[in-house]
Amino acid sequence: MGAKCPIEVNNLKVSYKKEEILKDMNLTIPEKGITVILGPSGCGKSTLLKCFNRIIELEEDVKVEGEIFVDKEDILHPKTDLIALRKKMGLLLQKPQVLPMSIYDNVAFGAKLHKKMKKNELDELVERELKKVNLWDEVKERLNSSAQSLSIGQQQRLCLARGLAVEPEIILGDEPTSALDPLSAEIIEKLFLSLKENYTIILVTHILRQAKRLADYVAFIYLGEVVECGKKEEFFNNPKDERTKRYLSGIIAG
Amino acid sequence: MKKIEESIFKFLMVSSLVLLIMALLSITIAVFVKGYNALSLKMIFTTPKGGYYLGKEGGILNAILGSIIIALSATILSFIYSFFIVFYINVYRYSKSNFSKSVRFLLDLLWGIPSIVYGAFGFAIMLIFKIPASMIAGIITLSFVILPIMARTMDETLRMIPFELKQVGFSLGATRLEISYKIMLRQSLPGILTAILLSFGRGLGDAASVLMTCSFSDSLPTSLLKPVATLPLSVFFQLSTPFKEVQERGYASAFVLTFLMLFVSLIARLCTKSLSKNVVK
Ligand SMILES: Nc1ncnc2c1ncn2[C@@H]1O[C@H](COP(=O)(O)OP(=O)(O)OP(=O)(O)O)[C@@H](O)[C@H]1O
Ligand SMILES: [Mg+2]
Repeated sequence: MGAKCPIEVNNLKVSYKKEEILKDMNLTIPEKGITVILGPSGCGKSTLLKCFNRIIELEEDVKVEGEIFVDKEDILHPKTDLIALRKKMGLLLQKPQVLPMSIYDNVAFGAKLHKKMKKNELDELVERELKKVNLWDEVKERLNSSAQSLSIGQQQRLCLARGLAVEPEIILGDEPTSALDPLSAEIIEKLFLSLKENYTIILVTHILRQAKRLADYVAFIYLGEVVECGKKEEFFNNPKDERTKRYLSGIIAG
Repeated sequence: MKKIEESIFKFLMVSSLVLLIMALLSITIAVFVKGYNALSLKMIFTTPKGGYYLGKEGGILNAILGSIIIALSATILSFIYSFFIVFYINVYRYSKSNFSKSVRFLLDLLWGIPSIVYGAFGFAIMLIFKIPASMIAGIITLSFVILPIMARTMDETLRMIPFELKQVGFSLGATRLEISYKIMLRQSLPGILTAILLSFGRGLGDAASVLMTCSFSDSLPTSLLKPVATLPLSVFFQLSTPFKEVQERGYASAFVLTFLMLFVSLIARLCTKSLSKNVVK
């Protein structure tokens, strides 16, 4: 599982209404482990993440140029099969967004879109995915109640289960713990660590300590450009760029 | 000073509310009192016999059924057009795009046109194609009268849906169609029910659009191609006779119309609760 070869971002440019947000980005994301994307607020982290599954196109007046190679295919090519691409990528948003249906249906939703499944297969799937995110024991008695009734932390785990049920290869997380209490955040972090063997994980955060705990690789983005990227140890212990040093010492706020 | 401000506003709010309740109560009570003598099961379950409008035997079953059939069919028809319009401008186009805004503006314009104009327009078209006054003509005309109400009310609820919900749908690999009916529709069910209810109410009470397009008939509605009776027109015909007992029947019919509306609203409110169960806030 996971992507079969590194994800390559070549000369990626994104602009909203002629305002350039990402300026000529180049980045290689290894196929195994967790790559953390760091950077101050407004530097374009979410924008970059949304390019990977191309939901960036849902925004109005947006222009995307460049190439992103996933499994040797340029996914920004107009002929890309978007459904297949999005099935390959699971996205976890900053604020958990459950679907207007029961807990059970939330998990089953994505999976049912891609494959006809029998009732007992679905039951198995829901149980398996909820167990993966340690939510099964908390909700097994009330699978048919509204997903809205869960706590925010539980909702975020439900969203992760919903994403995993589609059997993605790559997990995209956009500050997935920032709306959560410390305990729920820790659960999510542990989940990411346990998932990294099998998935390519790209995680956006602006919490340095979280990056240190989770990252295998780090990419630092500043004002729409990739300033520095590399292995975690090297990045934190021996940063090369002046801006990275200033960010790590807290001079660039974020 | 702050306190006085507060109490002035409180007074205004309470008095407006009282005015509203008074209006509703006084209309219902006046209609009921004036029509009480004529109100009977027989009136509801029979059709006008010869000389009904002169005070002879009969009832208004023709108009009750006619109104329900016409309003219901027009509501269904306009729901179908509205569904496509509203989902197109909210899911297939950006809700806030200029295109969507123009469609909304258009619907608002249509909303402002008096229904007699729709009636006259429908009638003009019927003349050109030599279509006689008939139930189907009434249904189609009425469906256009209620279209803006249905579409704009539905649109308002769809517009309120958080953008993230669409994002989630797309990220899971859903198509726009699947997002429309598996996510957006579910999320907006309570609002859609309100839209249907408002439209049905308007359809039930509208007289002008059916006046010229489906005329009136004393027999039960049996064919789409024949004229059909409606309650508002039946009320009008009965009230405009010089006979006191027929006028009483007119009020009784008006009471039936009001009661029908109330009944539908109550049922719909009961449904809203169960429809809202899964809606995310
Ligand atoms: N839909 C949009 N239309 C116009 N500008 C946008 C839009 N979305 C984002 N932007 C702009 O793009 C820039 C980058 O936004 P982005 O959301 O990618 O930042 P971010 O790095 O994720 O920040 P944060 O850490 O606060 O989430 C910001 O300046 C923002 O104002
Ligand atoms: Mg962001």
